[in-house]
Amino acid sequence: MTIVKQDTEPPALGETLAVLLARDMADGEKVIIGTNSDIQLAACNLARLMQAPRLWWISGPGGMVNPTRDHLISTADFENIESAEAWMDLPNMIDFIDWKIHFFDFAILSALQVDRHGNINTVVVGDQAKPRVRGPGTVGISALCGLAKRFYVVLTRHDKSAFRPRVDFICGPGHMDGGDSREKAGLPPGGPKLVVSPLGVFDFEPTTKAMRVRSLHPGVTLEQVQANTGFELVVAGTPPVTEMPRPDELALLRQRVDVRRTLRRKFP
Amino acid sequence: MSIKKLVSLEDAVKDIPDGASLGLGGWIFNSQPMALVRALIRRGVKDLDLIPVPSSIAPDLLIGAGCVRSTVCVFISFEQFGLAPHFRRQAEAGTLKVIDMDGPGIAGGLRAAICDMPWTAIPDLGTDLPKHAPQMYRPLPSAPGERKMLAAMAVKPDVCLLHAQQADEYGNVQYMGPPFFDAMLAQASRRVIVSVDRIVSSDTIRRNNHLTKLPAAMVDAVVEAPWGAHPTASPTLYRADEAHLAEYVKASADGAAWAAYLQRHVRAPATQAAYLDTLGAARLATVMVSESTLV
Repeated sequence: MTIVKQDTEPPALGETLAVLLARDMADGEKVIIGTNSDIQLAACNLARLMQAPRLWWISGPGGMVNPTRDHLISTADFENIESAEAWMDLPNMIDFIDWKIHFFDFAILSALQVDRHGNINTVVVGDQAKPRVRGPGTVGISALCGLAKRFYVVLTRHDKSAFRPRVDFICGPGHMDGGDSREKAGLPPGGPKLVVSPLGVFDFEPTTKAMRVRSLHPGVTLEQVQANTGFELVVAGTPPVTEMPRPDELALLRQRVDVRRTLRRKFP
Repeated sequence: MSIKKLVSLEDAVKDIPDGASLGLGGWIFNSQPMALVRALIRRGVKDLDLIPVPSSIAPDLLIGAGCVRSTVCVFISFEQFGLAPHFRRQAEAGTLKVIDMDGPGIAGGLRAAICDMPWTAIPDLGTDLPKHAPQMYRPLPSAPGERKMLAAMAVKPDVCLLHAQQADEYGNVQYMGPPFFDAMLAQASRRVIVSVDRIVSSDTIRRNNHLTKLPAAMVDAVVEAPWGAHPTASPTLYRADEAHLAEYVKASADGAAWAAYLQRHVRAPATQAAYLDTLGAARLATVMVSESTLV
């Protein structure tokens, strides 16, 4: 197979989000990702081909460790076993997923809603007893947000229904009510580091722990992102433009991680 | 002398009463006990309280067939096909009571049940779950500086339905792939009913005894149901049938189409063999190719 070192076809949304996440991973870190996680899986396998060859990741659904393929399949698919270096019985995994503080350096999660303090919700939109949208539920999200050293939130839409002043149901604790409220709730240090969306990259102001604009994708204005966010974002000066995926990163992603171009098809 | 536990599909589910709490094993699109679920629907069971581990079509089909009054939701999803259609519709209509729980809550609750304890301790992770489901999460006292803890109340299903790849007629059940939560669910449940794709000899079981995740003493009944997890996967034997899952989701959107699906795939075929004939050999052939080389 010929490896092209540079790929200049512009990135699809899913590819951009995967590259932005991959860049933030450090070599040797331990990672957990959940189900239905094409972008997260691509990000981990891409990071292993770039600056983080010893990244250790486990698939929460099946307990597969470091499955590596040249294409993306559901993390809940047993076919992952074939290319994994281990698979762990879930009752044993639970001990470090659900109880142990800081076993994982980070988790990457998507959500129905995220709020100004980075709490996330995958349970319901509206009232739990008669919701407007019934989501899939909490599973390990509570423990991953609560106990990992940090977490990332990846959203493939950016609008006021996704970016809320307060989520309708906290199933993944972020910075709770801001300030030191997370620590006061008895949780270990941690919480959300970055939120990546179709409009930009966001982090949290260190004192108030309110969501802050870190960079805006090319062509996106502050007015546009504020108009699509359900609360006031912290803005410090003029935010930089996001460094979009480079041709060498896209070449690796498309030839070693996602040869079937799943990200382009699902998240154009 | 071991006791033979091999029974027919119908006999396996005939004593599950209306109003039973029912554990469902597997994991999302893997090893859901679908042949047993269809047999239970044919029997006309009502008012079930479901306790599914992270699941997809097993709880959704029971909900869509009108057999369920409440369900625990740790995670119920159709993954790449979206949200679970009947679970979502009945929850949003307010006609299905949903008790949300997280991984620590269900794992702690099953461990409590396994050990005959009222609860086990789990960390308080700051979620809205204890406020929403105080019957499942109880605050525990803590000294200053100690980690805040909750009691995860015991989760003890009346019956659980599981699917695995093979067993002998005495109920020694073997998993060729991950057993997911099945062993915990089996130990926590009062009665354990398992379907397997094939019954094998006890010699075969003994040759690979490291695969026996459910020894016979933990199993009440075992059923031979080839392709019994269809349309979900049975690890190493067949993949999830994505085309069928897509048809299911499509049929779920429309009352007449859903009634037709239930009639064709659930109510009319009285046996697992008749169910497989509704699919056809060509369809099954598309999902029997596995890339896995585990066994």
